Amino acid sequence: MLPPIRQKVMRHLDIVGLIQPALHQQTHAPSPDMIDNAHFRAYTRSPHDVGGEPDIPITWEEKEEEVWEHNTFVTCEVLAWRGVWNAEERRRRQNVEVGQTQYLGLPYYGRWLLTAAKILVDKQFVTATELQDKVAEVRRRYE
Amino acid sequence: MSDDHDHEDEHLHPPAPMVDEVSEFEVLEIAVRELAIEKGLFTQEDHNQWTDYMHTLGPAPAARLVAKAWLDPEYKKLCVEDGVKASLDVNIDWVNTMPTKFGTPSDYCNLRVMEDTPTLKHVVVCTLCSCYPRPILGQSPEWYRTPNYRRRIVRWPRQVLAEFGLQLPEDVEIRVVDSNQKSRMIVLPVRPEGTEGWTEDQLAEIVTRDCLIGVAVPKPGITNNAKRPVRKAINPYKH
Repeated sequence: MLPPIRQKVMRHLDIVGLIQPALHQQTHAPSPDMIDNAHFRAYTRSPHDVGGEPDIPITWEEKEEEVWEHNTFVTCEVLAWRGVWNAEERRRRQNVEVGQTQYLGLPYYGRWLLTAAKILVDKQFVTATELQDKVAEVRRRYE
Repeated sequence: MSDDHDHEDEHLHPPAPMVDEVSEFEVLEIAVRELAIEKGLFTQEDHNQWTDYMHTLGPAPAARLVAKAWLDPEYKKLCVEDGVKASLDVNIDWVNTMPTKFGTPSDYCNLRVMEDTPTLKHVVVCTLCSCYPRPILGQSPEWYRTPNYRRRIVRWPRQVLAEFGLQLPEDVEIRVVDSNQKSRMIVLPVRPEGTEGWTEDQLAEIVTRDCLIGVAVPKPGITNNAKRPVRKAINPYKH
C-alpha cells in the first residue's frame, strides 16, 4: 500500500493526465515538418476565441453564485477602480494567457481569481512567499 | 501493530470527501482580498461599497428603457442613436452611477440598443469572453458565459434560439451581435400584440432579461425567464 503522500501524488498525476486537451492527433512536441502553416495558426490562436467552433447542444442552466465568486468579481473590479490594473490587462491575463487547459477547465471566476493573485505578485505588491504564507494561514483557519 | 492495521484499513476504504472542506478557491479568494487590503491597494470600505453597488443592479432599468421606447417614438429614436444618453431617462448614468465616478472599470461606457423589426431579430453574445451591459442589465447568466453558447450562437443561431424556446419563421432574419470591451448591447424587441393601451409599468414587466439578450421575445402574461435547471452553489452568496 502506498503511503498517503504518495497516493496524493499519484492522484494528482492521474488528474493531470486526464485534463490534457484531447487533440485527436499526435502531439507532445512534434518535429517542425509536422506543423504546416494552418496548424501553426490553429495552435497559436488564443484559447478564448471560440466563436464558430463546432459543439453539441447542452442544457442551458442558471446558476447560484458562490460566495467566493461574488467576492472575486468585486475584488477584481475594485483593483481596477484603484488603478492596480486596467481592462485590457485583465482581459489578456484572464482570457489569453491562461492557456487552453485552464481556460476550458476552470470555472469562469476561477480564472479571474488566479489572475488577481498573479497580478499582486507580478507587479510586486506581494512576494510569492507572502502569498503562499497567507494561503497557508487562511487554510489553517478552517482546520 | 494494531495502529498500523488501522491505517491500512483507511487506505483500503478511503474516507468520503468532507463536504464541509474549504475549497482552494475560497482560500485563495480570502488570501488575495486580505493581502490587497493589507498592502493598501484598496480598503474594506471600497469592497463593501462595490458590493452595495452590485446589489442595485438588475434588468429593471433596461426593461424600463424598452417600455418607454415602445410608448414614445422620439425616445425610441434616441435609444437607437445614443443608448448612453437614453439610459439617463431610466436613471443609469454610465459614468457616475458606479462608485468610481469614472464609469465601470471593466465595462466602459458605450451602450448600443439593437432594434428588432417583424423581419429582423437580434441576439447578443460575447464570443471572446462574456461582455455584458451590467450597469443596465445586472450580472450575466451562467449560460451566456459558457463556451458552448459563444461557439454556437454565431454559427447556428436559429437552432440555438430554438433550444431556448424561440422558434422563428424562416423569413425572419437573425442578426447576432458580438459585444466587446468597449460596446455592450441590449435588444429592443418588437412590442407584442395584445398590449394595446398598456401602461409603461405593465409593458416593462414583460421585458425579461432573456428578451433583452435576445433569446426570448416578450409575450403578454410572461414576466419571467423560461424555467431552466439551476445549478446549486456549495456555499451560495445571499443577495
